[in-house]
Amino acid sequence: MSDRAINKGPHDMGGERAGAIDTTDHGMKFWEKQANALRSTASAKRIVRVDELRRAAEDLGDQYYKLDYFERTTTALRTLLLEKGIITESELTAKMAEVRARFDVPSAPPSPVKKEAHR
Amino acid sequence: MSNSSFDYYANRQHGHDHAHDDHAPIAGQDEGPPSEYEIMSRAMQELLEEKGLITAEEVRRRMELFEEELPYRGSRVIARAWTDPAFKKRLLEDGKAACAEMGVNLEADRLIAVENTPDVHNVIVCTLCSCYPRSLLGMPPTWYKSSNYRSRVVFEPRAVLKEFGTVLPDHVTVRVHDSNADMRYVVIPMRPEGTEGWSGEQLAAIATRDTLVGVTVPRVRAKG
Repeated sequence: MSDRAINKGPHDMGGERAGAIDTTDHGMKFWEKQANALRSTASAKRIVRVDELRRAAEDLGDQYYKLDYFERTTTALRTLLLEKGIITESELTAKMAEVRARFDVPSAPPSPVKKEAHR
Repeated sequence: MSNSSFDYYANRQHGHDHAHDDHAPIAGQDEGPPSEYEIMSRAMQELLEEKGLITAEEVRRRMELFEEELPYRGSRVIARAWTDPAFKKRLLEDGKAACAEMGVNLEADRLIAVENTPDVHNVIVCTLCSCYPRSLLGMPPTWYKSSNYRSRVVFEPRAVLKEFGTVLPDHVTVRVHDSNADMRYVVIPMRPEGTEGWSGEQLAAIATRDTLVGVTVPRVRAKG
C-alpha cells in the first residue's frame, strides 16, 4: 500500500500505513481559532479561494509533515497574500515585529488570550 | 521607587545578591512566547484590516459562528430526517438544497448524505486535507485532520472504527467516502430503537458529530 508514486504530494496519504488514532478531540487553541476565522473570512470575501489555499499547503513539500494543521494553513495564507501582491514581505515583517513587541510588553498584566493560546 | 528599594526587594525575594533583570519573569516562561505562526496570523489580520479588506468585527463574528452555531446544525438536520421521511428523501437526493430549506447554507458545491442501514455503514474522511461539512458540524475534531486517520480509514476501516469503540457485525458492508473541497458528505445514522416519541431536541442530542462522521453510532442510554 505504500509504494509511493513519483508524483505523489505530501498531502496524499490515503492508504499509507500509520499508527493508532488518538480519538480524543483536543479542541483548538485561541490563536488557532483566530487563524481559522481569519482564513474563513478571507475566503468568504473572495480574497483567497479554498483551492488556492490547498495548493499553497501542498506546495510545502517535506515541511508539510513538520507543521501542525493551523501552522500549515497560516503559512498557506501568507504565501497567497504575498503572491497576489495584497501584502508585501516588508509590510509583513514590520507588522510582525510590531505584534511581537506588543506581546513582549513586560508591564502588561498577564494576558488571558496569551495564556489560553499556550496551554 | 528608588533603585535601592528595588534591589532590596530583588535580594529579599531571591536570597542572593547579584544584579537581577526583572524583565525575565518566571511567569513569562510558564506561558511561553507566542509562536511565530500566531504572530504571523495576527499580523496578516491587521494588515488586511488596515487595507480595508476585512474588519476585526467580521473575524470575531466568524469565530463565534464556528463556536456557537455551526457545530449544532448537523444534529438538527439529522433529527428532522429521522422524523420526516419526505425531508429525508430530499436530503438524500440533494443534500445542499434540503439543508437550505432549514436555513443552512453550505460552503461546498455538493453535500452528499449517505444513509446507514442494517446492512451498510458509512464513514467519511478527507484523505487529501480536511474537507468536512463545516456548515453542519463546525470545525473537524483533531483526529479527523490527523495523518493516522486520513491514511488508515480507507484501507482498514473496521480496525479504525474499533479504535473508536465501534464494532460492526461481519455481514455489514463498510463504505468509506473520501471528501474533497467541492463535495462533502454527511452520514445519516440509523435511528436507534427506544427513541419512539422523542422530540426533535432529544433526537438531535444523540445525533452527535461522531455519529454523523460515522466513527460511532447513536446510543440510547439505558434508563435508571
